[in-house]
Amino acid sequence: MRSLKFFIVILIIFNFNLVHAKTKNLDEKITKNLRCLICQGQSVHDSDSEFAISLKTLVKKKLNEGDSEEEIYNYLKDKYGEWILYDPGFSKNTYFLWLLPLLMFLIGGAIILKLFIYKKN
Amino acid sequence: MASLIGYYSLIIGFGISFLIIFFSIKNLSKSKLDNKIIFSVFFQFFFVSLSFLGLVQSFISSDFSNETVFNHSHTTVPTFYKISGAWGNHEGSLLLWLLVLTLFIFLFLLRSNDQPKKYRILTLLFQQIIIVGFFVFLIKTSSPFNYIFPIPKEGLGLNPILQDPALAIHPPILYLGYVGSSIIFSSALAAIVTNYISSSWAKHIKKWILTSWIFLTLGILLGSIWAYYELGWGGFWFWDPVENVSLMPWLALITLLHCTLVLEKKQILTSWVVILSIATFTLSMCGTFLVRSGILNSVHTFANDPERGLYILIFLFILVFLSIFIFLFFYKSEKTTINSFFWLSKETSILVNNWFMMYFLSVVLIGTTYPIFLEVLSSEQISVGPPFYNKLIIPFLVPFLLAMAIGPKLKWIKSELENKLNLILFLIISLLLSTFIIRNLDISFLINTILVTSAFYLFLITLKDFFSKKFNNLSQNFAHFSFSLLILSILFNNFLSTEIITNLKINETYENDSLKINFKSIEQRDEQNFKAIIGKFVIEHNGGQTDIMQPELRIYNQPNIITSEADIKTTLYKDKFMTMNSVQNQEYFNIRYQVKPFMIWIWLSTFLISLSGLIGFFKKRYEN
Repeated sequence: MRSLKFFIVILIIFNFNLVHAKTKNLDEKITKNLRCLICQGQSVHDSDSEFAISLKTLVKKKLNEGDSEEEIYNYLKDKYGEWILYDPGFSKNTYFLWLLPLLMFLIGGAIILKLFIYKKN
Repeated sequence: MASLIGYYSLIIGFGISFLIIFFSIKNLSKSKLDNKIIFSVFFQFFFVSLSFLGLVQSFISSDFSNETVFNHSHTTVPTFYKISGAWGNHEGSLLLWLLVLTLFIFLFLLRSNDQPKKYRILTLLFQQIIIVGFFVFLIKTSSPFNYIFPIPKEGLGLNPILQDPALAIHPPILYLGYVGSSIIFSSALAAIVTNYISSSWAKHIKKWILTSWIFLTLGILLGSIWAYYELGWGGFWFWDPVENVSLMPWLALITLLHCTLVLEKKQILTSWVVILSIATFTLSMCGTFLVRSGILNSVHTFANDPERGLYILIFLFILVFLSIFIFLFFYKSEKTTINSFFWLSKETSILVNNWFMMYFLSVVLIGTTYPIFLEVLSSEQISVGPPFYNKLIIPFLVPFLLAMAIGPKLKWIKSELENKLNLILFLIISLLLSTFIIRNLDISFLINTILVTSAFYLFLITLKDFFSKKFNNLSQNFAHFSFSLLILSILFNNFLSTEIITNLKINETYENDSLKINFKSIEQRDEQNFKAIIGKFVIEHNGGQTDIMQPELRIYNQPNIITSEADIKTTLYKDKFMTMNSVQNQEYFNIRYQVKPFMIWIWLSTFLISLSGLIGFFKKRYEN
């Protein structure tokens, strides 16, 4: 039993150095996170509309000029508004968006826990 | 003519509603269910069917004096799509809603002979409230039988992306699930009023939950397959609001299903079952509201106007207030609840299931509605897309999958974990297996390994149980097994998909280190209501193997829209997927070539999940 636990710990440590993803296709990652503004519910990457094609070229160009992912998002956000980003980010507009589901999870857990605490009394 | 029959049938059906309500109230104090009631419910269903057939017939005969037909059909559309066009629009799809509502209450009355009479009558009454609401909605704001004069010679045509076999049957199947949940809503309210929330009610309602859930699963599957090959981007789920709207009742239904298993055994969690039953249909209604009001930006928003949205919203509020009122005034809480939980028991594992399901549901609900509220309150527009859902759902999948493997092994009331060593051994095997695979695929990172491990764990444990448990709980094990298969296919599909996007002219060749794409030729073909431009591509793989892909562009005549049809070569291991798109004022075409591993397994495992529901439906009794 003990050796099994030890074994699991080793395996987990063995995997832990891999926490960070390689950014193989950064431009793909970025365009997948952009809404194609003239399409209905498609990302720039998935769309072949002219808007999407021009934006794909723009992202590639910016990356070649050495802009970071963050800089490109900010640039596009200023130009088209936050609507264009599929990842809403954590800002004053989105506190509730991110925290409410997690809060629901905690509340759910608390309710279940309560069922057992009552039992003891 | 057909339109006229349709219209009058609709009115008659509406009239019968009042007859049913009158008979039912008169029958409440009697001891036996009056046959008149069953007959009138049948006639209501009959007339709504007739009305629906009237609409279909108007579509088949291209009767453009009917406004709906004029707006959504054309003489050159193939007959099959003329028929499916009947529900491929707002008015027709609402008539389908109504048809399913009346069908389900009729079936309910036929199949509930062994239930208390008062409960049956009240279920019918509550269902009639919903039915009346939809009659009024249909007749007042969205009649499918409006007459236009002078009669146009030609219709405006059916949206080409709806002209597809999977999408033709997607709405009826989806609606059977979506609207089927109305019966759960009505019967839960009736059960509260008659104080009938008990294990026999749970047994009886479980069949209806399963029915809705099976159809909803199949409906979502069809929509997903359609999106995969028709929208041209090779994905199957985009967390689009309209997809989410169908996922929410699905999640609520599966939570409810698990919960009724507990109620079947013991008189606990009754209030929770009731709340879930009400929530399920409310979520379906919310979905209808969001889709039909035009608030959402999606392929499903047909022509819409604010009046319709407002009506559904008001109706939705009435239903919610009605159910809250009934819950507060009639609901009697169970007496001996609390002492019956032990931390390691099947009840607890089902509570854990409910906990996670409710979390997933709240992620989807909040993610879908938050942007709407934000826009109303601060007029700022944000998008909530796949990254949001991935971040909030994927980490929680790990404990969820593990619990799915272990939970069913526990016994009711109080349990010991048997074969602990076995469980740990399987965990190690899955961990080794996934570490090995992930390393070799060069996609290493921690979350992948953990996810694949937990999915493999569920996969192996359920696989083992097929052999060791002598099939005494087949549907459950089958469902969990299929779910692990689904997660594994999605994960590996995600890891291993590759994509090439390039621009090619005829006779040009794209080349990289593993393959060559040669654009051979292009040919034109005239079809009934579109012109097809078919490209011919030869793909030479380094191994010497070649494929010929023929993606297609379709130029529809009415409305004048170009769609792109993917060419997909499916094998057990992977799909090869190619689309071609024209670029304005350019000689070249935009080519997208994707290799998508295990695509067919995603469809297959989802199909197996609904099949497991079917097995559960025909099984006599849940195991002890």
